[in-house]
Amino acid sequence: MRASLFITCYNDTLFPETGRAAVRLLERLGVTLDFHPKQTCCGQMHANTGFRSEAYAQANRFVRMYQDAEAVVIPSSSCVAMVRDQYPGLMQELGTPKLQEQFRSLLPRVYELSEFITDKLGIEDVGAYFPHTVTYHASCHGLRGLHVGDRPMRLLSKVKGLELIPLENVDRCCGFGGTFSIKNAEVSSAMLSGKLRDVLSTRAEYCTALDNSCLMHIGGALHREFAGTRTVHIAQILASTDATSAEGVA
Amino acid sequence: MSTLLSSRTLILDRLRTATTEATPQEPPKSLRQYLRSGNLSAVERTQLMAERLREYDAEVLECEPQHQLDAIADRLRASKRLRFVVPPGLTSSWLLAGFDWKVDNGLAHDAIEQCDGVVTEAFAGVADSGTIVLHHSATEGRRVISLLPDFHLCVLRASQIVATLPEYFDLCTRIPPIATYISGPSATADIEMTRIKGVHGPRFLNVILVHDEAITNTAIAQGRSR
Amino acid sequence: MSQVILDPRVAPPFPKAALPVLRNPQLRKNVAHATDVIQAKRARLVAEKTDWQELRTAAASIKDEALANLDGYLQQFEERCVAAGGVVHWAWDAAEARRIIIDILREEQASDVIKIKTMTSGEIELNPALAAAGIEAIETDLAELILQLGQDEPSHIVVPALHVSRSQVREIFARKMGLENLSDDPQTLAAAARTFLRKKFLSVPTAISGANFLVAETGSVAVVESEGNGRMCLTLPRTLITLAGIEKVIPRFKDLEVMLQILARSATGERMNPYTSVWSGVAPGDGPQKFHVVLLDNGRSAILGKHTERQTLRCIRCAACLNTCPVYRQTGGHAYGSVYGGPIGAILTPQLQRLEHAQSLPYASSLCGACYEVCPVKINIPEILIELRAQVVNKERKKVARFADPMYLGMRAANWFFTDSRRFRFAQKWARIGLRLFTGKDGWIHSLPSLGAKWTMTRDLRGLPQQTFREWWAEQPKEGR
Repeated sequence: MRASLFITCYNDTLFPETGRAAVRLLERLGVTLDFHPKQTCCGQMHANTGFRSEAYAQANRFVRMYQDAEAVVIPSSSCVAMVRDQYPGLMQELGTPKLQEQFRSLLPRVYELSEFITDKLGIEDVGAYFPHTVTYHASCHGLRGLHVGDRPMRLLSKVKGLELIPLENVDRCCGFGGTFSIKNAEVSSAMLSGKLRDVLSTRAEYCTALDNSCLMHIGGALHREFAGTRTVHIAQILASTDATSAEGVA
Repeated sequence: MSTLLSSRTLILDRLRTATTEATPQEPPKSLRQYLRSGNLSAVERTQLMAERLREYDAEVLECEPQHQLDAIADRLRASKRLRFVVPPGLTSSWLLAGFDWKVDNGLAHDAIEQCDGVVTEAFAGVADSGTIVLHHSATEGRRVISLLPDFHLCVLRASQIVATLPEYFDLCTRIPPIATYISGPSATADIEMTRIKGVHGPRFLNVILVHDEAITNTAIAQGRSR
Repeated sequence: MSQVILDPRVAPPFPKAALPVLRNPQLRKNVAHATDVIQAKRARLVAEKTDWQELRTAAASIKDEALANLDGYLQQFEERCVAAGGVVHWAWDAAEARRIIIDILREEQASDVIKIKTMTSGEIELNPALAAAGIEAIETDLAELILQLGQDEPSHIVVPALHVSRSQVREIFARKMGLENLSDDPQTLAAAARTFLRKKFLSVPTAISGANFLVAETGSVAVVESEGNGRMCLTLPRTLITLAGIEKVIPRFKDLEVMLQILARSATGERMNPYTSVWSGVAPGDGPQKFHVVLLDNGRSAILGKHTERQTLRCIRCAACLNTCPVYRQTGGHAYGSVYGGPIGAILTPQLQRLEHAQSLPYASSLCGACYEVCPVKINIPEILIELRAQVVNKERKKVARFADPMYLGMRAANWFFTDSRRFRFAQKWARIGLRLFTGKDGWIHSLPSLGAKWTMTRDLRGLPQQTFREWWAEQPKEGR
């Protein structure tokens, strides 16, 4: 099985350990990975802020770049949602017929990481070991955009040593929302305070999710407060095979 | 805005242009995949109706047809009220002695306001939501008489009860010019979401459910094929 | 009582308007409690309704059918309503609607008028105009009464006074109704309102209502309510005026079987609201003998012509989107600066204002999608929010002031970096170097300038790692890959 890793602009720059973990994990599961060196961004930030033609410029690059990929795996559900929900409109509005065709052909080959493992590889037990208490936050794009459902939970439930603690109000938005976290920083923080309360009341050591965007928002506040919970991307949990190799976490 | 064009013309023109420009090729058709009819037996329908009414804090007294008058007497006495307004077509034998009956042949609002209660029949009942349907016929009365008095006694026959709201609409072979759907006594949750019963409108709803012949599926089907 | 301004033309932008609310613990508690209660009731009933998704689909398709031929259905409504004894007026905008209504009331020599809650009358700013014309408007919904007496503004479409606590209600009633020893028990408060309003119901000969649905087939109007004040206003007066947005029309009487099933469950978490009134024109001997309908455009026809935005007009004002919105939960309705708050407000108000005002509203959302999930008529609110954001930006592109907007400049710069990988790597390298200035010894950033300060206001940011992912990848041995 070959797959192309789209790391995402923010993981590349801010959370390379998530990428490293995704590589270790997928290679362990028998996937031959490649990494297109010209990748940058899917265009979501621009599209969601109202800069459509700029978003299109980035979407255009993405579609052409991955024409020949067997599968594109992305450790970020919001970026996959961008491709599934917004690329069709952008292609329709601004794309050439050729690009629209390339997009239609590419679309079924784009996967979020947990989807890729459960659906494409058909695996639920990835052979991971992570002896910690963990709570899972359902990132909005994964939940409502991609309908990932219980895929992440199924993967986490098979991780040895991991104790999963349910998060109250699990499907309530953490308040990140991309540029919303800046443009409406106060409201974003008010929403975050509710999410923090729910996370901290689980007393879990780690809070995980499909998206580092949510996690940097939640984790940034947890860190500010010297709270006893840390955030970690699901890729890092699934890549972890013994107590010391939970890279970027220890 | 041009003073030569009426607003009506302006609005309709704008709408026409708007719909030609933005309407998809295929004009949308209403999709009807929802549940049209319930699959309850007549007994179950009546039971559900009674249950839903009680959930809304309406008092329900069930009876056999031969005991209908006794049930009415019982409820009237239990209400401890004296003066009742009634629609002109209400069965005269229901106007029991010992009470002050005001037949509404065009009573003034103030006169109705002096009444402690009202007795009516109904057009139908919808079991799913415990809804009583009034079409304001001669046996149901003008809208005002079931609105002003504080106590409403409604006599509903099991044969008038359907399971679902779509089935009620099927029954409307003639669309009523006026209708009121009552699903419990008036209520509000406007103050701190605390549900308070009875702001305006009758605070006390009593329903007599008469176990007569249940509505047949034929009647509903006939209505639907109209 | 409050300094709230619900006029989108002058209301402060959402982030600013939200601030005083965020710092008001009572208001936040009231909003969270109210929305939790309705959400829970709604969820229970939706779970019980096995054909809920089919009902949503049907409701959306009924509205779409009406919208696709709106002029035809409105004409049919008018014809049938007039045949049944009603008078139909057409108002292009808010000013005209006010004029029509005041003219009718003047003809009736009305010095006061009783009103059933209608957000549309707030949209056209009717009450101040009535006051200026010497006509006293008396709100009869308990919530609207509380707001009117308290000189406050609605903060929710269905439960407008949800931000007001019982002790605040007690204080308002005691003061305005002259009831010194009034307790704050909700039952007692409601009884006080009942007594106060009863006299009005029986004496005021003119009433104004809104409409939940206009039925084209029969020229009927349907109004749903809980308290009974609706029935009072719709049957006791001599003259009734119904104000309705043109998008309220549905094709057939039978369509009500769908709309009524979804409305109560979505709005108040009930299988059916206590009272629904349906009437066509004038019923001889029963109810108002003079009936007027004022059909209001006020920007709706413009929305109809937009491909993505047209679905906005499906809205049946159930407020399920408000109840589920995590943003609304924190801010309540006043922050939206319009009678329409929450997700629907964020898309409707800017559109009714033709995007000349309320430009901050499309951004008052984290795009979580919860609203779309609960909308009984399947309005894809996030899609419309994104579309409106694009329109706001496109307006900005034409202004010189954009060069002073750090967000605009930042986004343009980011795009330049994102559209070429060499530029992107360059940006990554220099961001890493630049942010080192702000990175503490623990490897974390606690404070940033400019737009960054909005982040570090409440969150730390981990300093940029020494090596990006792609730099790491480039170092890895490539055999077998």
